[in-house]
Amino acid sequence: MRVVIAEDSVLLREGLSRLLADEGIEVVEGVGDGDELLAAVARQRPDLAIVDVRMPPTHTDEGLRAAIEARSRAPELAILVLSQYVEERYASDLLAAGGAGIGYLLKERVADVGEFVDSVRRVAEGGTAFDPEVVAQLMGRRRRNDPLSELTPREREVLTLMAEGLSNNAIAKRLWLTVGAVEKHIGSIFARLGLLPGDDENRRVRAVLTYLEGVRG
Amino acid sequence: MSSAASTTTTPGGRRRLLRGRVGRFHRGWRRALVDTAYILTGFALSLAWWVLLVTLIATGAGMVVTLVGIPILTATMYLWTRIAETERWRARRMLGLDVPSPYGAIEAGGFLALVFEPRVVWARMKDPAVWRDLVYLLVVFFPLAIATFCIAVSAWAVGVGLVAQPFTYWTGAGLQFGESHRVDTLPESLACLVAGLLVLLVLPWVIGLLAAVHAWTVRSLLGPRQSERVEQLTRQRTEAVDAAVAERRRIERDLHDGAQQRLTALAMGLGRARAKLDSDPEAARELVEQAHEDAKQALAELRNLARGIHPAILTDRGLDAALSHLAARSPVPVEISVEIADRPSPAVESTAYFVVAEALTNAAKHSAARSIRARVWRFDATLLVEVVDDGVGGAAIEPGGGLEGLTTRVATIDGTLSISSPAGGPTVVRAELPCVS
Repeated sequence: MRVVIAEDSVLLREGLSRLLADEGIEVVEGVGDGDELLAAVARQRPDLAIVDVRMPPTHTDEGLRAAIEARSRAPELAILVLSQYVEERYASDLLAAGGAGIGYLLKERVADVGEFVDSVRRVAEGGTAFDPEVVAQLMGRRRRNDPLSELTPREREVLTLMAEGLSNNAIAKRLWLTVGAVEKHIGSIFARLGLLPGDDENRRVRAVLTYLEGVRG
Repeated sequence: MSSAASTTTTPGGRRRLLRGRVGRFHRGWRRALVDTAYILTGFALSLAWWVLLVTLIATGAGMVVTLVGIPILTATMYLWTRIAETERWRARRMLGLDVPSPYGAIEAGGFLALVFEPRVVWARMKDPAVWRDLVYLLVVFFPLAIATFCIAVSAWAVGVGLVAQPFTYWTGAGLQFGESHRVDTLPESLACLVAGLLVLLVLPWVIGLLAAVHAWTVRSLLGPRQSERVEQLTRQRTEAVDAAVAERRRIERDLHDGAQQRLTALAMGLGRARAKLDSDPEAARELVEQAHEDAKQALAELRNLARGIHPAILTDRGLDAALSHLAARSPVPVEISVEIADRPSPAVESTAYFVVAEALTNAAKHSAARSIRARVWRFDATLLVEVVDDGVGGAAIEPGGGLEGLTTRVATIDGTLSISSPAGGPTVVRAELPCVS
């Protein structure tokens, strides 16, 4: 797997490179701003770009915008966005960009090396990784006639992990359930929320996230 | 209590009543003397100001076509605002008038910038208070000073002259009334003495009236207008809010770029170390060491950031201690002197602190100074802060720069900041901070 990192703090960029190298993931280039990211993606054709949201020159969201731009130029590029804060709006922007292989994690998740590397691998392979904080923000939104309130606590847990991008197996492992039990819960969730179940895990995550996104307000 | 006492008829009450009258008489005379001094000096000064300004304006206006006139005029303009400041100062000291500077713009920069920089000159031209200064100095102050001078001198001369009659009677130099009559008998001269005493009795009121006319013109022409003051306050408040927002953004940036990154790296290092604990203990040990370094760095960064927001020592021990600490950290030797008896309010104290902090930072960064002198002292109800360095000068207020932030900070507590920094130095940063007690 070949990765490009865009992160303006040299300290973190180096740290990330070493961390990924430890796990046998090849970091082909590290850059410090959005324009360099576009150039590096064109040059290296990586599988995955790990991008910090906030970079020079404006220190707002140029990382995110550059990542979306890079995606539109190279649709097969997977994107993992790292951010110091969780902004649900950034997640929506990423989802709106479409395609497979999207991740949005809090920067501090790099501390849990195992889980972080799992997320990196999952996104690079076309999966999804959404930070629990993002999902919590989406789930936590109160609305009238909330269909989510009809879910059992267990189903809410499963839904949360689905939204984070975990596979059935991973969900089963995390919740100490059998895969069969997880599948049953998922069936029931989809029925209550009126979603169409699909075989493709990625499409499923997308459906869940879009659902959570869509019933705003 | 005292009013109750003065209406009783007990002997003690009478004494007190008498003492009160005498006291008031004393004060009236003191006032009259100070007012007279104001009127006498005012006459000389008004004449000097009038001649000076008329000459300069005439010269400048005459030479406008050769372009040399324009700098003469802008310099004259600056000059008359300084003259008006002197007059305000005189009115404050001698007439006891509360007349603050009315100017809208905060003036700062070297003398050249103050006099010739188009932005500063334009701001001055737009300020109605500046034009009221000119009207006061040319049209009002001069004629009024002549009139009050004549009346005051005559009043004093008549009073003192009449009182002196019994003495001049013996020397044979009595007053001459008209063409035929001279005061040359004792009863006549005694009558003059009585008349003179009466004149001197009403003299404080006459002089007081003259001073009141002066005070009224000063207040209405040299003082700030209510509407302008409101405008000034509104602008200052907006600037203060903007500055506060900018300050919070700066703090967030510092946190984000500093401690937060450092702690993320630290957490990441520890995560990697944990992953390697069994497989590669040596590498794990190195990572833990690095993480330890990162933790210490993060602590140092947080400490500096916290100090930049508000230094704890300032709250604990006051300006002297806080400035000593600043001096100790400055790469350029700093001599600090703080001469204040009571601690000013926290807002004034922290503004004074940041004036010195910013001036020291600037001096260390840009001026190539070899020594700096920082002085804080109190004059009446004003805290004065002055930082002087022996560097190369050329400091200016730039948009978004530290000095601009400082000007705003000072203006929010109604203070003024002035910076004089001619090329070649020295640079003097001076803040006047009113202390409301």
